[in-house]
Amino acid sequence: MEKKAFMVNMIQSELEDAVGVDNVSMDPAEMFTYGVDYFWISRMWVDKGLEPPKPEFIVRPKDAKEVSKVLKIANYYKLPVHTWGGGSGSQGSALPMTGGIILDVKRMNRILDYSEVSRTITAESGAIFQHVEWYANERGYSIMHIPSCLTCGTVGGALAHRGIGIMSTKYGKIDDQCISLEVVLPNGDIINTLPVPKHAAGPDLQQIFIGSEGTLGVITKAVFKLVEIPECRKFRAFLFKDFSDGLAACREIVQKIKPSIIRLFDEAETVSIIKKVIGMERKGSFMNLAVEGLEEIVDIEMRYIFEVCSKYGGEDMGAEYGEKWYENRITFFYPGHIMNNPQMFGTMDTVATFDNIEKIYWAMKHAVEDNFEGVKFIAHCSHWYDWGTMIYDRFIVDNPPEDPEEAIRLHNQIWNEGVRAAMENGGVINDHHGIGLKLSRLMKEQYGPAMQVLEGLKKSLDPNGIMNPYKLGL
Amino acid sequence: MFTEKAIKNADACRFCWMCRHVCPVGLVTGKEINNARPKGLLVSMEPRGIPLDEYGMGTMYECCLCKACTNDCVTGYDPPVYILEARTKAVVEDSLPKNVRKVLDRALEGSMYQDSPDEKLTVRIKELPEKAEVLFFIGEIGRRSGSKVAQAYMDLLEKAKINYTSLTDEPTSGAQLGELMGHVEDVRNRASFCMERLSGIGAKTVVVLDPTDCAFFKHECAEWGILPNLEFVTATEYMWNLIKDAKIVPGKKEFSATYHDPCRLARDLEETEPARKIMEAMGIKLKEMFLNRKLTKCCGGALLHQNYPEMSKTVTEGRWGDVSWAGEKMLVTACPACAVHFQDTVPKGMESEDLFILLNSVC
Repeated sequence: MEKKAFMVNMIQSELEDAVGVDNVSMDPAEMFTYGVDYFWISRMWVDKGLEPPKPEFIVRPKDAKEVSKVLKIANYYKLPVHTWGGGSGSQGSALPMTGGIILDVKRMNRILDYSEVSRTITAESGAIFQHVEWYANERGYSIMHIPSCLTCGTVGGALAHRGIGIMSTKYGKIDDQCISLEVVLPNGDIINTLPVPKHAAGPDLQQIFIGSEGTLGVITKAVFKLVEIPECRKFRAFLFKDFSDGLAACREIVQKIKPSIIRLFDEAETVSIIKKVIGMERKGSFMNLAVEGLEEIVDIEMRYIFEVCSKYGGEDMGAEYGEKWYENRITFFYPGHIMNNPQMFGTMDTVATFDNIEKIYWAMKHAVEDNFEGVKFIAHCSHWYDWGTMIYDRFIVDNPPEDPEEAIRLHNQIWNEGVRAAMENGGVINDHHGIGLKLSRLMKEQYGPAMQVLEGLKKSLDPNGIMNPYKLGL
Repeated sequence: MFTEKAIKNADACRFCWMCRHVCPVGLVTGKEINNARPKGLLVSMEPRGIPLDEYGMGTMYECCLCKACTNDCVTGYDPPVYILEARTKAVVEDSLPKNVRKVLDRALEGSMYQDSPDEKLTVRIKELPEKAEVLFFIGEIGRRSGSKVAQAYMDLLEKAKINYTSLTDEPTSGAQLGELMGHVEDVRNRASFCMERLSGIGAKTVVVLDPTDCAFFKHECAEWGILPNLEFVTATEYMWNLIKDAKIVPGKKEFSATYHDPCRLARDLEETEPARKIMEAMGIKLKEMFLNRKLTKCCGGALLHQNYPEMSKTVTEGRWGDVSWAGEKMLVTACPACAVHFQDTVPKGMESEDLFILLNSVC
């Protein structure tokens, strides 16, 4: 429905009444900046001097009550609502592709509660994750959610896309670390999931909202479990002849013990990124890991690791490279180190059982390299489970087409080929970056008839379809 | 309009969010525009055919220029480079927000502050000798709302029997004018005039009370080649040296407190320890607060306080939150601007005091 004349101002007044005059903006400069997140197409678009997608209103609520008021207004006027935390997502999930409202949650940034007895911490969804970590660290604890976006991503963002950190092999993903949520439903109702994640009270409500990317409601608060900062953390690195040997070694390790970090890089990534950032100049498949906890146990686990790596021909590279990787774990993501425009790139992370993962690696590698001339493919495995692992595989196009439409076409074709290669071999559409706008079109292929479950939820909770349209295939 | 250096920094920052967690303004306003990335994005669009407009230029003033972002960047990028150039553009194109225009007009007239220098301080300075070995450079805020800090420091110099003077007609350094309009010719001229005045006193040492002025002297003035052959030293370092030399013997003030590192002192001048040593000499038990030393958060910024007083106050209140987090009720700082901002926003049940006022009270 078109808004004529001063209708925009009428809505603006209503929003200002809900959250305060200072917390509603239609400033053109501010609106411009919400049109770019970490999604490559959004970056390419502005890099070429094109106008990004812009919201009609920027709204900054301070708590769940204000979020509720905003959603009620949005429903009445049928205004799309796009929730924005840190804006550091790579899938375009927060982009205001349909105008409407950007709901910026960063005013909701308080740490609300901390329990030494239960080892929990409660924070609002707009809190930068680093700040929550620092608070916990001061008291001798950690959530152990340490992603590369730790210093810029919000609590809500991590939950909304079902994120992961480098320590996940030991401490789990964000969905394992979260105990309960407060969510504002699209109709403005404020709900809480059950106070504990383990129960026999029906399906897990929490898991419906974690990973929902703002399509089913707005997460406003979360409770996380805390773990003690370990007595010690020991690093080691190994070099395998090839990715296959490395994969076998890592599987054997994780099926018996749980390193906090275990990262296996294929040769392409070993001779490029690893060489660049930590200076290791060898061919083969580099692996670094960390084991942590009580020192006695760490030493036993490290002995086991040595045995397994030796069995698969892994050369001990000492502790130095592992430590250096850890010190530089965030450095990788600063300008000058990270891939940047005009390169085209994407991370086609997928996850599968050990039966399928090596097959998937080669299928994706061939899908990209055989079908797209000059496109590089690098990969590493960084998050491990008893049953399988994920591949953090990236494609890089050094000289993408100049024309933006052609660039988008190529970008999406590469994604289609890569992700379908994964899905056809038992992998899933994405491991931990989410779906967003980027992969929305592939959700029905992933889920098949099961998609109706998600669609049914969406239809029931958001009958006006205002919550983050075009994202998550919903 | 933007230099190659500014665009290089803007291009680096435009898609990077990594320093978001240390921006004192963004953390309290919750506004996406209040951190380095979106400002870099807007500037980076200029060579790409979307020039920075009045709205974009206006947002550039919502920044303390505290360099928390610069300090955080592991690859050495420097957002203030393009923010300052954007401010220059705003001045050249007469696209300043109205409130900023008023502040700039005042600064061009003489000082960005509306109030006049403190009478008592002015009278006291007139009684000082015309020439001396040590010149005490007080700065704009030290002569006005921060005059108690200046007076305390002068008391200490006299207790240490230092042969010092200060300028009755002390010119502004040019630091604040530079932050308003970028480091352009007008600012250089203002700074040159200031340097000439300082050179004419016959002093060998210039003790600078306000870290913003001292950083400006040591960086911008040095780069322009207009720094005279004088020793420029921060008030904290000079005072610590007096204590070391037993010219000042502090009594004990045994209580616990937390300390706020002034951002210009900690980051621009890379000085964090003299203030701590002074506190130790006084017997103050220091509990470090969240984000200290080079990670310090800005107190609200002297210029931001003039341009956007409410925003500045919110930033200061954010820092008070860090004092609570440290579990302390007493906050000490060593900069006249910080002292004024914290005093003006002190929450109930808490206290804030300037380091030199405290030291003077026990000497």
